[in-house]
Amino acid sequence: MISTTNSCAICSRRQILKAGALALVPLAIPSPIYALGDQPPMTANGGTDPYPIPWIDKNGSHNQPAGPNLEPSHIYHFKGRVARCSTFTGIGADNQGNRIAFGSPTTDYGVMQGEYWAARAAQQGTFTHI
Amino acid sequence: MFRGPAVPANQIHDFHPPIAPSGLYWVVPVPDQGLTITPDGNTFTLEMRNVAVVDQPRWPALDSTATPARMSFKMVWKSTGEPVKYEDATKHFRFTGTRATCQMEAEVAVPSIGFSWKSDSLTTSKSDFAIMGEEVNGRYYDT
Repeated sequence: MISTTNSCAICSRRQILKAGALALVPLAIPSPIYALGDQPPMTANGGTDPYPIPWIDKNGSHNQPAGPNLEPSHIYHFKGRVARCSTFTGIGADNQGNRIAFGSPTTDYGVMQGEYWAARAAQQGTFTHI
Repeated sequence: MFRGPAVPANQIHDFHPPIAPSGLYWVVPVPDQGLTITPDGNTFTLEMRNVAVVDQPRWPALDSTATPARMSFKMVWKSTGEPVKYEDATKHFRFTGTRATCQMEAEVAVPSIGFSWKSDSLTTSKSDFAIMGEEVNGRYYDT
Protein backbone atom coordinates (compact mmCIF):
# COMPACT_ATOMS: atom_id res chain seq x y z
CA MET A 1 0.00 0.00 0.00
CA ILE A 2 1.28 3.40 -0.94
CA SER A 3 0.46 6.22 1.46
CA THR A 4 -0.52 9.54 -0.12
CA THR A 5 -0.22 11.47 3.11
CA ASN A 6 2.61 13.98 3.17
CA SER A 7 3.65 13.86 6.77
CA CYS A 8 6.51 16.29 6.23
CA ALA A 9 8.65 14.38 8.49
CA ILE A 10 11.69 16.24 7.38
CA CYS A 11 10.37 19.84 6.88
CA SER A 12 12.91 22.58 7.13
CA ARG A 13 12.65 25.40 9.69
CA ARG A 14 11.96 27.85 6.82
CA GLN A 15 9.00 25.76 5.64
CA ILE A 16 7.57 25.63 9.15
CA LEU A 17 7.83 29.42 9.57
CA LYS A 18 6.16 30.02 6.17
CA ALA A 19 3.30 27.68 7.04
CA GLY A 20 2.85 29.42 10.39
CA ALA A 21 2.68 32.84 8.78
CA LEU A 22 0.04 31.70 6.26
CA ALA A 23 -2.03 30.25 9.09
CA LEU A 24 -2.30 33.74 10.64
CA VAL A 25 -3.68 35.39 7.46
CA PRO A 26 -7.39 34.64 8.20
CA LEU A 27 -7.02 36.31 11.58
CA ALA A 28 -5.44 39.43 10.06
CA ILE A 29 -8.17 40.03 7.41
CA PRO A 30 -11.55 41.04 8.94
CA SER A 31 -14.23 38.58 7.97
CA PRO A 32 -17.54 39.99 6.68
CA ILE A 33 -19.30 37.47 8.84
CA TYR A 34 -17.73 38.90 11.98
CA ALA A 35 -18.30 42.48 10.70
CA LEU A 36 -22.06 41.87 10.43
CA GLY A 37 -22.09 40.98 14.07
CA ASP A 38 -20.76 44.45 14.88
CA GLN A 39 -23.64 46.29 13.18
CA PRO A 40 -26.60 47.48 15.23
CA PRO A 41 -29.85 45.58 14.71
CA MET A 42 -31.92 46.93 11.82
CA THR A 43 -35.47 46.56 10.53
CA ALA A 44 -36.34 45.21 7.10
CA ASN A 45 -39.80 46.60 6.52
CA GLY A 46 -39.41 48.10 3.07
CA GLY A 47 -39.19 51.72 2.02
CA THR A 48 -41.43 54.57 3.14
CA ASP A 49 -42.33 55.62 -0.41
CA PRO A 50 -46.00 55.20 -1.32
CA TYR A 51 -47.21 52.19 -3.28
CA PRO A 52 -48.90 52.57 -6.67
CA ILE A 53 -52.44 51.35 -7.27
CA PRO A 54 -51.96 47.61 -7.92
CA TRP A 55 -54.12 47.28 -11.02
CA ILE A 56 -52.87 48.63 -14.27
CA ASP A 57 -54.34 50.77 -17.01
CA LYS A 58 -54.82 49.78 -20.64
CA ASN A 59 -51.22 50.72 -21.38
CA GLY A 60 -49.88 48.40 -18.69
CA SER A 61 -48.99 51.22 -16.30
CA HIS A 62 -50.14 52.03 -12.77
CA ASN A 63 -51.74 55.23 -14.04
CA GLN A 64 -55.25 56.12 -12.98
CA PRO A 65 -56.96 58.40 -15.52
CA ALA A 66 -59.02 61.29 -14.16
CA GLY A 67 -62.73 61.10 -14.82
CA PRO A 68 -66.18 60.23 -13.47
CA ASN A 69 -66.26 57.07 -11.33
CA LEU A 70 -62.49 56.66 -11.58
CA GLU A 71 -60.28 56.55 -8.54
CA PRO A 72 -58.67 59.95 -7.90
CA SER A 73 -55.61 58.79 -5.92
CA HIS A 74 -52.44 57.39 -7.48
CA ILE A 75 -51.36 56.04 -4.08
CA TYR A 76 -52.65 52.78 -2.65
CA HIS A 77 -53.40 52.24 1.07
CA PHE A 78 -54.25 55.92 1.33
CA LYS A 79 -56.74 58.08 3.20
CA GLY A 80 -56.89 61.82 2.98
CA ARG A 81 -57.61 64.80 0.77
CA VAL A 82 -57.45 64.46 -2.99
CA ALA A 83 -58.08 66.67 -5.99
CA ARG A 84 -57.99 65.72 -9.65
CA CYS A 85 -58.45 67.41 -12.99
CA SER A 86 -58.04 66.59 -16.64
CA THR A 87 -58.56 67.78 -20.17
CA PHE A 88 -56.62 70.99 -19.71
CA THR A 89 -56.45 73.65 -22.32
CA GLY A 90 -54.34 76.77 -22.29
CA ILE A 91 -51.68 78.61 -24.21
CA GLY A 92 -48.33 80.25 -23.66
CA ALA A 93 -45.19 81.36 -25.44
CA ASP A 94 -41.70 79.93 -25.77
CA ASN A 95 -38.45 81.86 -25.48
CA GLN A 96 -38.60 82.60 -29.23
CA GLY A 97 -41.99 84.22 -28.91
CA ASN A 98 -43.85 81.35 -30.55
CA ARG A 99 -47.37 80.82 -29.26
CA ILE A 100 -47.69 77.18 -28.19
CA ALA A 101 -50.82 75.55 -26.78
CA PHE A 102 -50.74 73.07 -23.93
CA GLY A 103 -53.16 70.43 -22.77
CA SER A 104 -55.12 67.56 -24.24
CA PRO A 105 -57.79 65.12 -23.05
CA THR A 106 -55.08 63.15 -21.27
CA THR A 107 -53.43 66.15 -19.60
CA ASP A 108 -54.29 65.47 -15.99
CA TYR A 109 -53.02 66.46 -12.57
CA GLY A 110 -53.74 65.46 -9.01
CA VAL A 111 -52.77 66.07 -5.43
CA MET A 112 -52.98 63.74 -2.43
CA GLN A 113 -52.45 64.75 1.19
CA GLY A 114 -52.88 62.47 4.16
CA GLU A 115 -51.95 59.10 5.54
CA TYR A 116 -50.60 56.19 3.55
CA TRP A 117 -49.25 52.81 4.50
CA ALA A 118 -45.66 51.88 3.73
CA ALA A 119 -42.79 50.22 5.57
CA ARG A 120 -45.50 48.42 7.60
CA ALA A 121 -46.53 51.66 9.29
CA ALA A 122 -48.69 54.73 8.75
CA GLN A 123 -46.86 57.56 7.02
CA GLN A 124 -47.89 61.17 6.39
CA GLY A 125 -47.25 63.08 3.22
CA THR A 126 -48.37 65.28 0.37
CA PHE A 127 -47.81 64.17 -3.23
CA THR A 128 -48.75 65.38 -6.66
CA HIS A 129 -49.29 63.59 -9.95
CA ILE A 130 -48.12 65.90 -12.73
CA MET B 1 -47.47 70.89 -25.86
CA PHE B 2 -48.73 71.00 -29.38
CA ARG B 3 -47.92 72.98 -32.46
CA GLY B 4 -51.37 73.14 -33.93
CA PRO B 5 -54.36 71.02 -32.90
CA ALA B 6 -53.84 68.76 -29.85
CA VAL B 7 -53.33 65.49 -31.69
CA PRO B 8 -50.37 63.10 -31.24
CA ALA B 9 -48.78 64.06 -34.56
CA ASN B 10 -48.50 67.68 -33.40
CA GLN B 11 -46.97 66.96 -29.98
CA ILE B 12 -43.63 68.74 -29.56
CA HIS B 13 -43.02 68.41 -25.79
CA ASP B 14 -44.37 66.29 -22.94
CA PHE B 15 -43.27 67.10 -19.39
CA HIS B 16 -43.67 64.80 -16.42
CA PRO B 17 -41.61 63.24 -13.60
CA PRO B 18 -40.04 59.86 -14.28
CA ILE B 19 -42.02 56.77 -13.30
CA ALA B 20 -40.64 55.49 -9.95
CA PRO B 21 -38.99 52.06 -9.72
CA SER B 22 -42.05 50.96 -7.72
CA GLY B 23 -44.29 51.85 -10.65
CA LEU B 24 -45.68 54.92 -8.89
CA TYR B 25 -46.69 56.96 -11.87
CA TRP B 26 -45.49 60.54 -12.33
CA VAL B 27 -45.86 61.25 -8.63
CA VAL B 28 -43.50 63.48 -6.64
CA PRO B 29 -43.53 64.71 -3.04
CA VAL B 30 -44.91 68.18 -2.40
CA PRO B 31 -42.75 70.28 -0.08
CA ASP B 32 -44.17 71.83 3.09
CA GLN B 33 -46.32 74.84 2.22
CA GLY B 34 -46.67 73.57 -1.36
CA LEU B 35 -50.34 72.82 -0.85
CA THR B 36 -52.56 75.37 0.86
CA ILE B 37 -56.20 74.74 1.68
CA THR B 38 -58.67 77.40 2.71
CA PRO B 39 -60.28 76.95 6.14
CA ASP B 40 -63.61 75.99 4.52
CA GLY B 41 -61.84 73.35 2.43
CA ASN B 42 -63.30 74.74 -0.79
CA THR B 43 -60.07 75.88 -2.45
CA PHE B 44 -56.84 73.93 -2.90
CA THR B 45 -53.80 75.80 -4.22
CA LEU B 46 -50.80 73.72 -5.28
CA GLU B 47 -47.65 75.64 -6.08
CA MET B 48 -44.20 74.19 -6.76
CA ARG B 49 -40.97 75.59 -8.16
CA ASN B 50 -38.27 73.90 -10.25
CA VAL B 51 -39.63 70.38 -10.08
CA ALA B 52 -37.25 67.91 -11.74
CA VAL B 53 -39.09 66.44 -14.71
CA VAL B 54 -38.24 65.00 -18.10
CA ASP B 55 -39.29 66.10 -21.55
CA GLN B 56 -40.40 63.17 -23.69
CA PRO B 57 -41.67 64.69 -26.94
CA ARG B 58 -42.59 61.30 -28.41
CA TRP B 59 -44.40 60.06 -25.32
CA PRO B 60 -45.91 57.44 -25.04
CA ALA B 61 -43.47 55.70 -27.39
CA LEU B 62 -41.41 53.31 -25.28
CA ASP B 63 -38.14 54.56 -26.80
CA SER B 64 -39.05 58.23 -26.40
CA THR B 65 -35.92 60.09 -25.32
CA ALA B 66 -36.18 61.71 -21.88
CA THR B 67 -34.35 65.02 -21.54
CA PRO B 68 -33.94 66.53 -18.05
CA ALA B 69 -36.15 69.59 -17.57
CA ARG B 70 -37.64 71.78 -14.85
CA MET B 71 -41.22 72.75 -14.23
CA SER B 72 -42.80 75.38 -12.01
CA PHE B 73 -46.54 75.72 -11.69
CA LYS B 74 -49.50 76.98 -9.75
CA MET B 75 -52.78 75.09 -9.82
CA VAL B 76 -56.03 76.12 -8.15
CA TRP B 77 -59.03 73.89 -7.52
CA LYS B 78 -62.29 75.55 -6.44
CA SER B 79 -65.31 73.56 -5.34
CA THR B 80 -68.57 74.11 -7.19
CA GLY B 81 -70.49 72.63 -4.26
CA GLU B 82 -72.05 69.88 -6.35
CA PRO B 83 -71.66 66.62 -4.39
CA VAL B 84 -69.86 63.66 -5.94
CA LYS B 85 -69.35 60.14 -4.62
CA TYR B 86 -67.39 57.45 -6.42
CA GLU B 87 -67.06 54.01 -4.90
CA ASP B 88 -65.92 50.65 -6.19
CA ALA B 89 -65.84 47.87 -3.60
CA THR B 90 -64.01 45.56 -5.98
CA LYS B 91 -61.17 48.08 -6.20
CA HIS B 92 -61.42 49.08 -2.54
CA PHE B 93 -61.80 52.81 -2.98
CA ARG B 94 -64.33 55.44 -1.96
CA PHE B 95 -64.20 59.12 -2.89
CA THR B 96 -66.54 61.69 -1.35
CA GLY B 97 -66.34 65.29 -2.42
CA THR B 98 -67.56 67.82 -4.93
CA ARG B 99 -67.07 68.81 -8.49
CA ALA B 100 -64.63 71.65 -8.98
CA THR B 101 -63.01 73.99 -11.41
CA CYS B 102 -59.28 73.87 -11.93
CA GLN B 103 -56.93 76.34 -13.56
CA MET B 104 -53.17 76.45 -13.83
CA GLU B 105 -50.21 78.50 -14.94
CA ALA B 106 -46.83 76.96 -15.57
CA GLU B 107 -43.28 77.45 -16.76
CA VAL B 108 -40.97 74.81 -18.16
CA ALA B 109 -37.34 74.81 -19.22
CA VAL B 110 -35.15 72.31 -21.02
CA PRO B 111 -31.68 73.83 -20.50
CA SER B 112 -29.79 71.38 -22.73
CA ILE B 113 -31.69 72.48 -25.83
CA GLY B 114 -32.19 76.11 -24.80
CA PHE B 115 -35.96 75.81 -24.69
CA SER B 116 -38.27 77.48 -22.24
CA TRP B 117 -41.97 78.22 -22.23
CA LYS B 118 -44.32 80.15 -20.01
CA SER B 119 -48.08 79.93 -20.01
CA ASP B 120 -50.43 82.85 -20.02
CA SER B 121 -51.98 83.72 -16.66
CA LEU B 122 -53.87 81.15 -14.64
CA THR B 123 -57.27 82.59 -15.48
CA THR B 124 -56.81 81.90 -19.19
CA SER B 125 -56.66 78.11 -18.70
CA LYS B 126 -59.42 75.64 -17.99
CA SER B 127 -60.02 71.96 -17.37
CA ASP B 128 -63.13 70.11 -18.47
CA PHE B 129 -63.14 67.79 -15.45
CA ALA B 130 -62.17 68.46 -11.82
CA ILE B 131 -63.11 67.07 -8.43
CA MET B 132 -61.88 67.59 -4.87
CA GLY B 133 -62.64 65.87 -1.60
CA GLU B 134 -61.53 62.91 0.47
CA GLU B 135 -60.67 59.34 -0.43
CA VAL B 136 -59.95 56.06 1.30
CA ASN B 137 -58.54 53.02 -0.47
CA GLY B 138 -56.65 49.79 0.13
CA ARG B 139 -56.29 48.82 3.77
CA TYR B 140 -58.23 51.93 4.86
CA TYR B 141 -61.29 51.09 2.78
CA ASP B 142 -62.94 48.79 5.32
CA THR B 143 -62.03 50.77 8.43
